[in-house]
Amino acid sequence: MTATTRPAVPALAPPATAPAAHRARRAARRRRLTACGVLMAPFFVLLLTVFLIPVGTAVYLSFYSDDQPGLGFGPERTVFVGLRSYAAVLTDPTFLGGLGTVALYCLIYIPLMVAGALALALLLDSGAARLRAFAQLGLFLPHAVPGIIAALIWLYLYTPGISPVIDLFARADITVDFLGVHTVLPSIVNIALWSNLGYNMVVFYAALQAVPREVIEASVVDGAGPVRTALQVKTPLVRASIVMVAIFTLIWALQLFTEPMLLSQSSPMISSRFSPSMYIYDAAFNRTNYSLAAAASVVLLACTVALSYGVTRFTGRADAAEEAR
Amino acid sequence: MPGRHSRRSVLAALAAVPLTGALGACSGTGAGSRSSGTSSITRITFWSALRGSQEVVDAFNRTHDRVQVDFQQIPSGGQGGYAKLSNAARAGNAPDIATIEYPQVPGFAIDGVARDITDLVDDRLRRKLLPQALGLTTFEGRVFSVPLDIEPMVLHYRADLFERYGLRPARTWDEFAEQARTVRREAAGRRLVLFPTDGMTQFAAYAWQAGARWFDTSKGAWNVSLADAPSRRVAAYWQRLIDAGEVFMNAVESRQSDAQLGNGLVLTRLTGAWDAGAQMNARPGQKGQWRIAPLPQWDPARPSVGTHGGSTFAVTKDSRHPEAAMEFIAWQVSHPDALRARLSSGTSSQYPAAPDLVPVGREAFDRSYYGGQDIYALFEREAEKIGGQWTWGPRMTATQKVMQDSFARVGGGQGSLVQSLRTAQEGTMPDLKALGLSTTQHST
Repeated sequence: MTATTRPAVPALAPPATAPAAHRARRAARRRRLTACGVLMAPFFVLLLTVFLIPVGTAVYLSFYSDDQPGLGFGPERTVFVGLRSYAAVLTDPTFLGGLGTVALYCLIYIPLMVAGALALALLLDSGAARLRAFAQLGLFLPHAVPGIIAALIWLYLYTPGISPVIDLFARADITVDFLGVHTVLPSIVNIALWSNLGYNMVVFYAALQAVPREVIEASVVDGAGPVRTALQVKTPLVRASIVMVAIFTLIWALQLFTEPMLLSQSSPMISSRFSPSMYIYDAAFNRTNYSLAAAASVVLLACTVALSYGVTRFTGRADAAEEAR
Repeated sequence: MPGRHSRRSVLAALAAVPLTGALGACSGTGAGSRSSGTSSITRITFWSALRGSQEVVDAFNRTHDRVQVDFQQIPSGGQGGYAKLSNAARAGNAPDIATIEYPQVPGFAIDGVARDITDLVDDRLRRKLLPQALGLTTFEGRVFSVPLDIEPMVLHYRADLFERYGLRPARTWDEFAEQARTVRREAAGRRLVLFPTDGMTQFAAYAWQAGARWFDTSKGAWNVSLADAPSRRVAAYWQRLIDAGEVFMNAVESRQSDAQLGNGLVLTRLTGAWDAGAQMNARPGQKGQWRIAPLPQWDPARPSVGTHGGSTFAVTKDSRHPEAAMEFIAWQVSHPDALRARLSSGTSSQYPAAPDLVPVGREAFDRSYYGGQDIYALFEREAEKIGGQWTWGPRMTATQKVMQDSFARVGGGQGSLVQSLRTAQEGTMPDLKALGLSTTQHST
């Protein structure tokens, strides 16, 4: 910025006033820096207080423990225990089981979510749907319902004896158990889809609005039907949004907590350590084992970061390959 | 634009409400209520979920000048009471006295919440208490809490239905299994008993009776063997009954179970002595239909029983007046007036850990519900048979949850009871290791 103004300065200002101009410039820069600082401070303060300090505390807690030797009835002292808590977490079959559950949940949920939201957005964008604004609002509205309320609504619909849905099925001589051994995970996926499908659809729809109309027209002129236009022209053009939605959905899915926590009230098939987040909650507040909870939190954070990075890296490489072609 | 803004903030506020509520619930209260007072009166705080505690406290405060108790009713352990106690202790404002059930005593002792009160429990109090009861709260020769009641497991049965099907209370488990078959064959829709999927404490009592040692501290380390030979025997026994459909299998804390009992579909209940009173309160309409008998035995020549239920009182690490706290505890568990006050709040059949109090309980108990049967005489005999080998583990709530989650899956057709025991053990070990305890896993 200064480079562009410099040639003009000597011509306008006599040499005697050069230090004054310099001072003015410095003051301007200081003001800019102050403005930057003021505007960015809230972000950094929040980053520090709600992210970095908690993460730091968790890491600290995971390496220390209030130990008592032997049977444990002696006086407590806080000692450095190295990776002991991590070893305990990673050899805990209930934690690994929780990771497995969430992996299965992601495998079912993420493809359904991305494909479903994209399909709905393409439908809306193609103009095939009537009452577009109404459909958009209707699909988006569940996202405005807080997760805990959503889980309560579905808990009502899933619980035998009070659910009108199960009653309706029963009248048709169909027995459904939404909270059985094999149905409980799909039931949770259903809640999450209901809550978030509309939101992601809006993201995709917004991205589709940015696709240049001439490209669409060109594809129509070239003889592509609406389906082909949607799948082979529009979809690749909103690729960046798809990756973003996939990553956000993944991060959200790994922290699965509210829905199973509430459904566990009604179904013994959801254990208190159903997902890693529930394991952490259980370790901290039911088992008062804070080192274990902290270690599990750090493991979950590492998994989330690694997976997010993996997805970005993988899609980035795919993009590069595409461009090279 | 402003409209959208306000809507979003409303939503944010809505979403935040449950959160702040939860956080508020986490932080312990009660710090303010404790004060040492200006005069010579010592004020102590007492937390309990037990019914009749307020009456006991009132009676104590009426008869004592030097020590006065502030009582706070809290939710029962599993409903948040234990979490409340842990959080309060973490924040340094636990009450002087907390109520802890037997299975959770070692956990709170290890966490340093329950104070070592060996020196405060004098010989007079020690002599008054049943040794098996005090044994459950003593570790490495140190006492961490004082038992209020100890509850031998007994057989509650429907005398009218037993008569109809020509049954008599089983003396052995083999007889009991035989009866389960008979009931299934002859009584449509009825079963002899329920195997509770949420019943770790029941299963523990069965295993205890059979001679199991889930946790053993005799060699200076926590030896964990939830699937030892006696436990496997018990598991195999119930598995046979479950596989043959000869018992109900569902949660006992459920409407389903209430319906089974209310409609006379289940003929017996295997629970602690306390449940006689609870049954009277819950189903007054079944007056005269129930009787109580000793639990069936594996070997009638060498009878033994386990316990199911029972509470203890601990002085916490935060107490500034442990002697005063101990005075109240000693009075509460051993003075006839304390039991009378507790019973004034409603019917109870708890079996006191201080056998001297049995006449008080017997006197207050209305026998007509059990057809005039002197159930206290039975409890007294059964309490003598409580096996002394048992020790609860350091993280019993967690062990319980994992085991019951697995039981529930057995009820849903997945796995077996023996596997549930192994699963519970595998889910317990990481906890103990992360706590830094010495552990071993030898199984008999």
